[in-house]
Amino acid sequence: MPRERAWRDLIPVAQIYRGDATPVSLGSREFAVFDTDQGITVALARCTHGAANLCDGYFDGTHIECPLHQGLFDARTGVAVAAPARVKLRMILSREVDGMVQVFI
Amino acid sequence: MTAPVLTPITQALNAGVLTRQELKALMVRSDVPALKHLALWIMLVLSTGSLIHLTYGSVWMWAAMFLHGVVLVHHFSLQHECCHYTVFRTRWLNDLVGNICAIIIMLPNRHFRYEHCDHHTYTQLKGDDPELIELPRSLGGYLWYLSSLPYWRSKFTELGRHTFGHLSKEEERFIPKEERQTIFWEARLMLVAYVAIGGFCIATHWWGPVIYWWGPVLLGEPVMRFIRMTEHVGKPNVRDMTENTRTNYVTRPMRFLAWNMNYHAEHHYAASVPFHALPALHEKLKGHVAVESRGYIGAHIDILAQLFGRKHRCDATKGN
Repeated sequence: MPRERAWRDLIPVAQIYRGDATPVSLGSREFAVFDTDQGITVALARCTHGAANLCDGYFDGTHIECPLHQGLFDARTGVAVAAPARVKLRMILSREVDGMVQVFI
Repeated sequence: MTAPVLTPITQALNAGVLTRQELKALMVRSDVPALKHLALWIMLVLSTGSLIHLTYGSVWMWAAMFLHGVVLVHHFSLQHECCHYTVFRTRWLNDLVGNICAIIIMLPNRHFRYEHCDHHTYTQLKGDDPELIELPRSLGGYLWYLSSLPYWRSKFTELGRHTFGHLSKEEERFIPKEERQTIFWEARLMLVAYVAIGGFCIATHWWGPVIYWWGPVLLGEPVMRFIRMTEHVGKPNVRDMTENTRTNYVTRPMRFLAWNMNYHAEHHYAASVPFHALPALHEKLKGHVAVESRGYIGAHIDILAQLFGRKHRCDATKGN
């Protein structure tokens, strides 16, 4: 029977890298927590093109660049904005509650 | 099942070779170092070009053309960095400069970008790495590669194939369907530009492009082949980045020409680190990557030792 989706604690806001991407594991899943210019967003951490963890790439506050091939994604929306990335990142619904980043999974 | 992370930098972070903060500090982009480097670069190109003008008609002209050619073929290093978007912080500047380099050395930029992506994914893996240069089987094979003739044959074939709207089986693997028309039109535009310039030379009997550009590039390309061989040739055909790539210690002028790409192992470790930060990354990764302290010459001594059987061939399998 599929598990019911719910809000789950991911990481305290105080522990995320300010202005950068923070890798967080929850169970077997790897997430990227982006501290963007417009607030915190969360996505699955794997690049949709190559086998790379996006958290290890260059982040300018808006775009995250894959460390393997330098494909580019908008960290606020997940949209792939530069080749070789073509498939959108899977963004995870998130919120901040009492200093904790929570994800709806 | 999720594929394992392939990026060496993630593995290096996990192994504690450098911290995330150190890595992120090295990744910081800026337009300034590249613009300074580029200003000196343009002065160098004009200087070596002027040498051809000054020696025009004398036997020294060939030496000047060779020297100018060595500089021109190093546009590859700049284009390579641009294809990683690490030269300039401003992303479109990387595309602009990369495409200018592409015209100078006849290496279509978009195609190179996709090919190079696969080179980073499958570095040194036979049958998968599209840029793999095989360890030659004989001295003849070694000299044949250095002559650049097989390189130019491959590049002209590629340009013709793309102009007629075809891809090789290997290219079909790394160029997505959505990008194929871009690859074809890039080749067509490049060919039209070359034919137009060549036609203009013939019509006007003005041979400037041949003397200051194409001739020097042809004369200088063996030097670039010599340098390209030092990056991976003679290293094992394995995925492990600590074994399959060489960093070469070279003189400051050569580092300038190469845009620090002699720190090749570091570049493969963290391709998002800009050229100007590679020496600092090298300090962090010292002892963790393969270094040839004798530089390009040392790398070729290693290659020749394997070729003449004085050293175990890196590509030898059991039974060989």
